[in-house]
Amino acid sequence: MAAMSRVLRAAAAWAARRAGSTGITGTTGITGTTGITGITGIAPRLPGILVPVRHSGDHGKRMFIIKATSFYDSRFLSLLRFYIFLTGIPVALLLTYINVFIGEAELAEIPDGYVPEHWEYYKHPITRWIARYLLDPPEKNYEKDMALLHVEAKKTELRMLELEARRLMRHRGDGPWYHYETPDKNLVDNSMKSTPDN
Amino acid sequence: MPEDHDWEAYKVPPTRTPVSERTTSVPNPVDFFQTAFSYVIDAPVTFVRGLIERLQPKDKAHYYHQKFRRVPDLSECLEGDYLCYYEAEAQWRRDRMVDQQIVEIVRERLAACKQREGPNQFQNCAKEMELLAQVTKAYQDRYGELGFHGNARDCLMKQKHRMMEERKAEQGKE
Repeated sequence: MAAMSRVLRAAAAWAARRAGSTGITGTTGITGTTGITGITGIAPRLPGILVPVRHSGDHGKRMFIIKATSFYDSRFLSLLRFYIFLTGIPVALLLTYINVFIGEAELAEIPDGYVPEHWEYYKHPITRWIARYLLDPPEKNYEKDMALLHVEAKKTELRMLELEARRLMRHRGDGPWYHYETPDKNLVDNSMKSTPDN
Repeated sequence: MPEDHDWEAYKVPPTRTPVSERTTSVPNPVDFFQTAFSYVIDAPVTFVRGLIERLQPKDKAHYYHQKFRRVPDLSECLEGDYLCYYEAEAQWRRDRMVDQQIVEIVRERLAACKQREGPNQFQNCAKEMELLAQVTKAYQDRYGELGFHGNARDCLMKQKHRMMEERKAEQGKE
């Protein structure tokens, strides 16, 4: 603003000299006032001619600078910063606290006769916490898979046995399946077939 | 800061770089860079790390390498024993990971040897080269063309074919 006012002041001095010289030459000559005096008269004048201005404090005249709006941009950036820092700062503080004051675990040999818990195989304290409280131990997972396999293996075996039994019963005909109840042969009336001439 | 690995596991042989006589009076620029690095980066980082180490509790938690029990191999499983298959498969995968790491370590040793020796590498690194050749050949024989979806059963079949071919080769020789 100060630089602008200086440029404006220089332009104003040049304009005042031009305007002043054309006005005053007719009466007193160029030996008139050298300093910049107040503008008198209603003649059109160049813009930027200095007038005594209040509230300046050498900042110059207050200007209404015309530029495109930055309201939406600054609102967006401000909201962005707000929502990022809303959770970002607590998370950053938490991570700083954990990494500085709790620290990572050290690698050590397994002491004799000691079976480490499943979370003691990880280094970072957050990983250890997740493995301890949120996830299942890998042994449990292993056993779950084995249980599933066991059940499916038993089912497979039973189905194979059933197929084999069905095949044999169909083939041999001596089992409870694949035979149909027929009436007793004593009930059959053979009178129609008893003589060859019927 | 991660701990250094066990220096006793692989003792690096002493360097035999000859002491060089200076022929110029221009100081070695490497010295300047080393001192600059140690003052600008190394010392502040070490200082901050020291502060943080003092803030951490003295009795730190420990973490361990998990030791898995050996279970019967796939060749020792009865047919149709799917539980045995599952355990053998898991063990085979762990063994394959270990073998991959072994190959990596041997490769890194060879690379370190080459870097140390510089122009003498072809003579002085012969042992490491030999070791790497053997290890990679063994890995290729065992896990070679099984592919990403290779499992313990494919590996067993590959071993069976290898043994059959060896037997055929021996019979062919007789």
